[in-house]
Amino acid sequence: MGDTVQASVPVIEFVGVSKAFGENSVYENMNLTVRPGETLTIIGGSGQGKSVCLKMMIGLLRVDAGVVRVAGEDVAGLDGEGLRRVRRRVAYVFQGGALFDSMNVLDNIGYALREHTAMDDIAIRERALACLDLVAMPSDMLDAMPANLSGGQRKRVALARSIAIEPEVILYDEPTTGLDPRNITRIGDMIKKLQKELRVTSVVVTHDMPTARKVSDRVAMLYQRSFPFIGTVEQIWHSELAEVRDFVHGTLRRTSGTGATIVTEAPHGA
Amino acid sequence: MRAISRLGQLVLGGLEWLGGLTGLAVTLIRVGLRRPWGIDDIASQMVHLGVRSLPIALFISVFIGMILAVQFGSALRDFGATMALGDASSLALVRELVPTLLALTVGSKMAAGISAELGSMKVTEQIDAVAALGADPIKKLVWPRVVAATLSQPLLVVMGNVIALLGGMLIGEWVYGVPAGYFYETYIDELAPMDYIQSLTKGTAFGLLVGLIGCYQGFNTKFGTEAVGVSTTETVVAISIWIIIADFFITMMFY
Repeated sequence: MGDTVQASVPVIEFVGVSKAFGENSVYENMNLTVRPGETLTIIGGSGQGKSVCLKMMIGLLRVDAGVVRVAGEDVAGLDGEGLRRVRRRVAYVFQGGALFDSMNVLDNIGYALREHTAMDDIAIRERALACLDLVAMPSDMLDAMPANLSGGQRKRVALARSIAIEPEVILYDEPTTGLDPRNITRIGDMIKKLQKELRVTSVVVTHDMPTARKVSDRVAMLYQRSFPFIGTVEQIWHSELAEVRDFVHGTLRRTSGTGATIVTEAPHGA
Repeated sequence: MRAISRLGQLVLGGLEWLGGLTGLAVTLIRVGLRRPWGIDDIASQMVHLGVRSLPIALFISVFIGMILAVQFGSALRDFGATMALGDASSLALVRELVPTLLALTVGSKMAAGISAELGSMKVTEQIDAVAALGADPIKKLVWPRVVAATLSQPLLVVMGNVIALLGGMLIGEWVYGVPAGYFYETYIDELAPMDYIQSLTKGTAFGLLVGLIGCYQGFNTKFGTEAVGVSTTETVVAISIWIIIADFFITMMFY
């Protein structure tokens, strides 16, 4: 389990958020806070909208109702420059890596640096090497093209790309999906290492419970368009609630109906 | 009743598509006319879209010139007027056939390529990644492609006009016995500055359509690899239709 985090002003805050795609409602009156320095893991079944939550955090998707605040700023109210500012502070590691196929590893890692800073090529190369080192990739990979990387390497390069700009928050979208057990362990270790060394706040979306258990300070479980359970790893792991227990230790039952009343919010500062 | 409903859906879908394309064009003007101009990206796309299309553009152009000369020559021979082959070919080639056929072939190839590339980027979340890294996907991805296509297509038309002239000249000399020098003089004499302007106007407008439609289709690709194929096919259909429509209105504008 990750280090315990003191309650503080939220870095990211969802207040009464609703989001639907056509007739398919993903969130209804959803509330969630992410505290500075913590690793919050969002768990839930496939296709329930965990990634949607991350995308709303950096304005890639807009809420239908409610407010998403990042460092106190309402993301929905931001113009292009405001979003740029938010995305300078909040990095996103995509599920498949989303490396740019036409660029080598160096240019992928340097992309945000060229976009946000006036660093020259030499400085960008040095930063890229340092980032590769942080994600345990050899320096000779700098000129490799994404097509020549394995799944695990692509995820690590994506991780290196996200930390190059020294963000305050890193959002991980299913970081261990499609990886073998060795790479799953490695990515989990890396998330912990980055949080410790870079002191970033992390939000991890996953349905991989061992990884969630390893990296999380708190866990939020998405169920019936909201987060009815938010607590520490131990609280969720030992929950007596059927819905939570079924998900953590097996398969979540698909239920219909309105409003889940699974459990209350875990005590702040837990 | 069902047919009317389907027709209505088709019209609404078309209007929605047109509205989206117009929206993209407006956004493009807004973000494109701001620094940085993205000159490097535009140059890179011009190589990708324009220079790499040169061989096929030249191949098509020489055959357009030859085919038209064969057709006109055959008709003119019946009247004993094969020496008028240069005059007869020039207007059709420069005003219409070279810009339009190049747009329908090379332009479609460009648009399909743009659509497939951006569609793949959409499916693999690379477009979202551009935005997440703080860049504007319209500025980074759409702007250089639209500008490059708009500049490349008229340049290809210029080259195509020259090569089509050579194709017609070859047929004139070899098949109908029209001396190359005479063919050239009559060909050029027939053309007024406005004909060149019409040719370039069509090339530019078609290039703009190629870039816009290719990018719009790519950005609106649904999820899944199959969607990229669907989007690319739709792009070719849309390009064919809109180039013919634009051709009609530009032709009318010059009369």
